[in-house]
Amino acid sequence: MTRALAFEVLRYLILVTAIAVALVPILWMASMAFKPIPEWQATGAALTWIPKAPTLDNFRYIFGTNSNELIATLDRTAVKPILASFLAAGLGTVIAMTAGTSAAYGLSRFGSGSNLPLALVQLRLFPPMAVMTPVMIMWAFLNFTDTWWGLALVYGIVTLPFAFWLMKTFFDDMPKEIEEAALVEGCSRARVFWRITLPMMRAPLASAALFVFILNWSDYLIALLLTTREWVTIPVYMASLSSSMTGQLYGAKAALGLIAAVPPVVLGVLIQKHLVRGLTFGALKQ
Amino acid sequence: MKDDGAKLGFRLTLPAQVLVLFISVFPLLMQLYISLTDWSPLAGTSWTQAWAMWNTFANYIDLIYDHRLWSALGRTALVIGVCVPVEFLLGLGLATLFMDDFPGKRAAYSILIMPMMVVPAVAGYMFFMLFQSGGPINDILSNLIGHPITVAWLSDPNLALLAVMVADIWQWTPLMFLILLAGLAGVPEDQIRAATLLGAGPVQRFVTIVLPRMKTIIGIALAIRVIECFKIFDTLFIMTGGGPGVATETISVYIYKIATQDLIWGYVAAIALAILIVLSIACVWALKRMART
Repeated sequence: MTRALAFEVLRYLILVTAIAVALVPILWMASMAFKPIPEWQATGAALTWIPKAPTLDNFRYIFGTNSNELIATLDRTAVKPILASFLAAGLGTVIAMTAGTSAAYGLSRFGSGSNLPLALVQLRLFPPMAVMTPVMIMWAFLNFTDTWWGLALVYGIVTLPFAFWLMKTFFDDMPKEIEEAALVEGCSRARVFWRITLPMMRAPLASAALFVFILNWSDYLIALLLTTREWVTIPVYMASLSSSMTGQLYGAKAALGLIAAVPPVVLGVLIQKHLVRGLTFGALKQ
Repeated sequence: MKDDGAKLGFRLTLPAQVLVLFISVFPLLMQLYISLTDWSPLAGTSWTQAWAMWNTFANYIDLIYDHRLWSALGRTALVIGVCVPVEFLLGLGLATLFMDDFPGKRAAYSILIMPMMVVPAVAGYMFFMLFQSGGPINDILSNLIGHPITVAWLSDPNLALLAVMVADIWQWTPLMFLILLAGLAGVPEDQIRAATLLGAGPVQRFVTIVLPRMKTIIGIALAIRVIECFKIFDTLFIMTGGGPGVATETISVYIYKIATQDLIWGYVAAIALAILIVLSIACVWALKRMART
């Protein structure tokens, strides 16, 4: 009995430590986002853990309202980078999901494209940096450089493996009786896919799409290489934020980081039960 | 009826096939061509004219003697060698705590997987702030030790890589935890109960029943992390930019630098192709081994 109790105490001790470690970096950024400039850095005095004079100035600043003379007003606000992130990640998700879902159905039901599973895993294996220079040359040639649609096309290809594998496991799991019944009734196979299978798979489709969106939203390297000014995404814009007067714009960056962190965390909770399946290419179901 | 299905199957897989070809074949041929020349985007000619700067295998010979490349590869191997085992052990340890029910389990689970949901570049920025010499990590350490510590983690060549590894471990231990927990849940409970009745202790149960059943899952989890860790860029680049000097320059950072600063794309193509070939061989070898067992 005492051993069981000791185990419970130990478990909670470890858990509390782990939770603290997981949360402190996130909370530090959240706290920084609401700090006024004097509290950004420890200047001789002790560190400010919780903002003493919480303010929304950092958020106002990145959206173009500067109420402080210590830092110069931004010539470009965070509005367009946020829009760029949404558009590129959104269209990238549409591309990956369209190609991935249809290919997954083709393989799952008709055995077409049996080379795809391995080809797509291989695509995932290579460091993006190693294949990006030819893409940069092609994109410059096609005038896709520094556009959200050019970025989205690369995102769509990069996340295609995840969309394909997720949807393939969902289609494999789906009972085939309903489709067969519709075929007997005289529906064409294409009609069965469009009118019966896809509407039935609405929930898995949504989960896979959210998963792919999170991956696209999280990119930094590809946007760094393919966008230069007009359509930089949030992480690229964030890295460029600094001021000649105060150096690092800690609070402003933290505010932007918080905005960037919110969608994946919220969407991640929604698709929690499919996370393992998605991240292991369907090798593992929860 | 059969033909109808094959035709539709072909049409359905076509877009994915086109995208895969588009991103693999054309860039690959382009890389192969450029890698045999001295071409650079600054050359003033289009890449199609690169043959004018033909140098046969000079780029490939260069990379054999490129110390910066080899030390970047070594550093990447070090990051993999430290981060992946630590993430695995921490993740496995945490997962075992979640094997039975306890109050607050769902909430603890949701919080523990949060770090991996954070955008890697943002995570990099978080740790950039945490590791400042006047930052929270030094503050916590000072309080623990009792006298003030002002280590400049990110500008010390010996400590910067450690800081980068801490950030990686923070972000990706949750992934190990998540996968291994799903694996643990798949171990049949009656077998564990039977072993308990036969008098097996918790450690014995874990080693003889749980671990053998998790072999494949452990393999998958490790493979995923090794592959992703090999590509490490975002967090690291935001934290240190590969510096100070080349102290945290991993392979992706090295290629990024010579591609965007030195602009020697012929050489970049040679390195990229060499990596692709080695990785492909390793991949085929690993798959063959997996197929055998």
